[in-house]
Amino acid sequence: MIYDVRHKTTFTYEDMVSVSHHVLHLMPRPHPRQTTIDTAVIVDPSPAVDSQGEDYFGNPVQYLTVQEPHERLVVDAHSRVEVRPTAVPFVLEAREKWEETRARLEMDSALEAYEFSFESPHIVGGDEVYDYARASFTPGRPILAATMDLTGRIFREFEYRGGVSDVSTPVSEVFAMRRGVCQDFAHLQIACLRSLGLAARYVSGYLLTRPPEGKEKLVGSDASHAWISVWAGRDGWVDFDPTNNLIPNVEHITVGWGRDYGDVSPINGFIVGGGAHQVTVAVDVSPLPGH
Amino acid sequence: MSAINTIPNAYASAEAKLLEAYQRDPMAFDELSTPEGAVRSRWQPVLEGFAAMGSGATRAAHDKAQRLLRENGVTFVPQGDGDSARPWRLDLFPLLIDPAEWSAIERGVIQRATLLNRLLLDLYGEQRVLKEKLLPPGLVFGNSQYLRPCKNIAVRDDLHLHFVAFDIARSTDGQWWVLSDRTQAPGGAGYALENRVVASQCLPELFAERNVRRLASFFRAFSERFLSLSNRDQPQAVFLSPGPSKQTYFEHAYLARYLGFSVVEGSDLTVRDDRVFMKTVEGLKPVDLIMRRISAELCDPLELRTDSLLGVPGLLQAARAGRVTIGNALGSGLVESDAFLAFLPSLAQLFLDEDLVMPSVATWWCGQEREREFVLKNLDRLVVRRIRNTRNLFTAGEGGLVTPSMPANERAQLIHEIQRNGYDFVCQEPASLSTAPTWSNANGLQAAPVTLRVYVAATDKGYQVMPGGLTRVAQGSDPRAPWLEAGDISKDTWVLSDQPVEQFSLLAQRQANLRLHRGGRELPSRMADSLFWLGRYTERAEGAVRLFRSLVIRLGGEMGSTRSLVSPERVVSMLIVQKHLSVRRGRRAMQEGREAVERELWTILFDPESRDGLATVLGNVRRNADAARERLSFDTFRILRDMTEVDKSSKLTLGHETDDALRLLNRLIQYLAAFNGMVAENMTHGHGWRFLDMGRRLERTRGMIQLLQQLAVRPEAPNDGQLDLLLELADSTITYRGRYHAAPQLPAVLDLLLCDETNPRSAVYQALTLADHIAHLPSPKDETIMTLDQRVVTRLTSELRLADATELGVTVGRFETRVELERLARRIDRDVLALSDHIAERFFSHSSARRVAGARRGEGAR
Repeated sequence: MIYDVRHKTTFTYEDMVSVSHHVLHLMPRPHPRQTTIDTAVIVDPSPAVDSQGEDYFGNPVQYLTVQEPHERLVVDAHSRVEVRPTAVPFVLEAREKWEETRARLEMDSALEAYEFSFESPHIVGGDEVYDYARASFTPGRPILAATMDLTGRIFREFEYRGGVSDVSTPVSEVFAMRRGVCQDFAHLQIACLRSLGLAARYVSGYLLTRPPEGKEKLVGSDASHAWISVWAGRDGWVDFDPTNNLIPNVEHITVGWGRDYGDVSPINGFIVGGGAHQVTVAVDVSPLPGH
Repeated sequence: MSAINTIPNAYASAEAKLLEAYQRDPMAFDELSTPEGAVRSRWQPVLEGFAAMGSGATRAAHDKAQRLLRENGVTFVPQGDGDSARPWRLDLFPLLIDPAEWSAIERGVIQRATLLNRLLLDLYGEQRVLKEKLLPPGLVFGNSQYLRPCKNIAVRDDLHLHFVAFDIARSTDGQWWVLSDRTQAPGGAGYALENRVVASQCLPELFAERNVRRLASFFRAFSERFLSLSNRDQPQAVFLSPGPSKQTYFEHAYLARYLGFSVVEGSDLTVRDDRVFMKTVEGLKPVDLIMRRISAELCDPLELRTDSLLGVPGLLQAARAGRVTIGNALGSGLVESDAFLAFLPSLAQLFLDEDLVMPSVATWWCGQEREREFVLKNLDRLVVRRIRNTRNLFTAGEGGLVTPSMPANERAQLIHEIQRNGYDFVCQEPASLSTAPTWSNANGLQAAPVTLRVYVAATDKGYQVMPGGLTRVAQGSDPRAPWLEAGDISKDTWVLSDQPVEQFSLLAQRQANLRLHRGGRELPSRMADSLFWLGRYTERAEGAVRLFRSLVIRLGGEMGSTRSLVSPERVVSMLIVQKHLSVRRGRRAMQEGREAVERELWTILFDPESRDGLATVLGNVRRNADAARERLSFDTFRILRDMTEVDKSSKLTLGHETDDALRLLNRLIQYLAAFNGMVAENMTHGHGWRFLDMGRRLERTRGMIQLLQQLAVRPEAPNDGQLDLLLELADSTITYRGRYHAAPQLPAVLDLLLCDETNPRSAVYQALTLADHIAHLPSPKDETIMTLDQRVVTRLTSELRLADATELGVTVGRFETRVELERLARRIDRDVLALSDHIAERFFSHSSARRVAGARRGEGAR
């Protein structure tokens, strides 16, 4: 599948902003099933400093400094991305036991994965999360089957509801209210996996959505999405989407991954001046016709 | 416990008396005496010295030390924000260290600094130690001080660590051990320096006779090396501080002044074009080097902790671009985790091919199974700490001994946590500390457990050790872990030398290659702001004090024949207008009569809780004095400190009435006069002085206008003393009398207070002074356009110069109001306020950056 993704963020300020700094995670990172065909970020007013690189986790990252006074900042990211299907459908039950995977983690070859088994600023586990995870991770169960089971339980037992949480809502709170959005479910599932000593990372990206039957799709109506990836030993990293109870395939477009939301938030910025501010975000994910 | 035998000598009996109460703990190493009870040779001369002084002179020297520390304003804030600053305490008995012993310590800590620097280079670079399994990866990955965005940032000259400290202690066998490595932003060196200054002043002969190594050259070597890490010839170095409310601000200001750096807070800095700049009154000035005193994760909210209010957004990018050097490099706090102590012997082999010279106190990291099992079995005798808890100068961090008396549920929870998240726990053997003689005026000489913090800096000759250090007397109640509460009594540390010691001060050395210039350090906008407000508040305090004094005199009836009584109504209305009294309370007091009015006045004067009373006025002065301290001379600051603490020292309480009130107010007037004198005579007339004086002039103009509005707009009744009061409050009585030899008359009074350019109290004098200051301040590049402040001050000056006292005195209407005067007063007041705003806008823009984030999550993605 080939997609055109547009992610446009507009900051509007009450007063003049004299200088602003932003860190962007908006350009999709390539991985074995995904290729970035083209990508560009248009910024208005044009930044004095605009540098690109790779962050700690290998994601494309961009740093902007706007030094001219401005009352509005538009960051408009366009990308054309090809996503290829997973090679073979997984036979979840036939894979290694989760205890084996955990033991494998501390071995030399898994250093990169091992890093994702520790608590991180936004993901702090606890006994309740551990107990919740244990119900899926029974002794000797294959890791992928157990993770799928956990994914399904979160999908069924947690209500998808916007407005009850924000980017700083801790896992324990999400767990207690049994509600949240994709980011909260991803954080929760990662907390579960890490509490067992497994490695899991947060994946930030987009999801192809379809309009209700017979209706036109609205421009800008898509949103950024988040899911998780678990390290499954010999199978490497395998994605799961607890918000939709599935293993992502060609409808999930990856932008980047990290330990939690904080490592890959699309835009993080600091301004001097500005007064009250307003942010509008418009996201469009369009499959290219014929693909 | 056992007593000490003294060697027979000239002072033998005096020495015996000194050691009368000295009881050594036979289990600990005693610095003063051998296990057999003989005084160690290095202590003999010092002991003789103190014996010769006798207990009277020792007491006096001890008191002098505490007084000097207080007078020099040496304070610390025990636990940060909530607490108020406490005076620093010094025990005059130094800790003595022999040359040979010192070189062993030096070898040990230099090796450690070198090793930790090498380790950081690897951990923030290749990570060979992790890849080759030489260090358990969890030690790094699970540590919140492993700052991932700092990985692969190149550090200049391979230096992560520029200035580090080690807490060391001596165990029973006489061996020095390291209790902890401090690589983040170690504090205390400034206090050590101040301890030396005070100790050498209080024990001049003793100090001079002993060959004590000096500290200055160490700081010079550090600063020379640090300044060399920049690309520019005249680099700008700053001390990045969390601000005056924080624990060791005293030291930040002190060290910065000693080294010639500017003290800044995060919001004084800004990043443009991947370069760091300081916001000064002359615009943005590039900063090349930052010595930081805030924890690294708080230094750049853009890439590190987004909730930090102390940092500089973009700092990491500037570091990545190689345009700023930060000491210690961001991320270096990682290796100060005690967990690393367990691995240093093998790392020393790996990186240096050497044995670790100075051992660490026994340490187990619970991230490893075998160690965790051991810890859980021996929990009751070990000290347990969570790694993520940060430590500061005065505490070793939360956590401590798990005593058998710990409640069962807490104990079970702790064990559970260690099992679950072992990587976040570290356990240590409780250290045994040596004891050293410690003086107290109450108990004489006692043996008390001590720890020593030594400092190591990168210099042109590699790492060097400060020949001295901060010795602290452990105050902990649990003898098994005394350093955990290591307290607030400190000692000077005398490293003895075999050779004659070098004699110079840091300042003297600098002068050798000094180029003449008349500037000074850049004036950061924040400092200008503080000085400006210091000027405003001291002037406001002066106005308030004069008002209180006049009212007290008149209310109390202590009047000479020349001055008439003032009515309670007038007292109340003046207090209300000057905002010392609320309208509601004022009305009520007035209804209740004269006594109630008096009571309100006493409350304003003596009640520290009274809002807008004297205590508040002085509190405002103090706050700004603290913030501007770095730019004030010791004497100037001392005057302000004594002034703002006058109520504490004079022990005045509610109900002491007129005499006490007058004594207090007169003293305050003297302090204010002394301060004004200091500012006029001792402060260089640079930008800082101009901002201070502008604040004062602005406030004085406002005060004058307020007085005129209350005492001149309405006509005076015959003999009601209104104009006398006006002249008195405006401090112009003598001038008026000298000029007119007659009872005050309005036009003459107005002329003197408003229009007379020779009267330093007149409004026009203030305006002219303000105009002069503004003309000397940096102006924008395009000088053809007037700035707003220039515009307003021009208008203000001409308005006052054109004012005609006779015309202003004309009364109009049934109420005989002086309408012209009232209008002029209003215009001037408005202009003065506008001027203050414009000055603030043009020069004080040091507002902090705020966070904005653009994210829309989830909605519609299901």
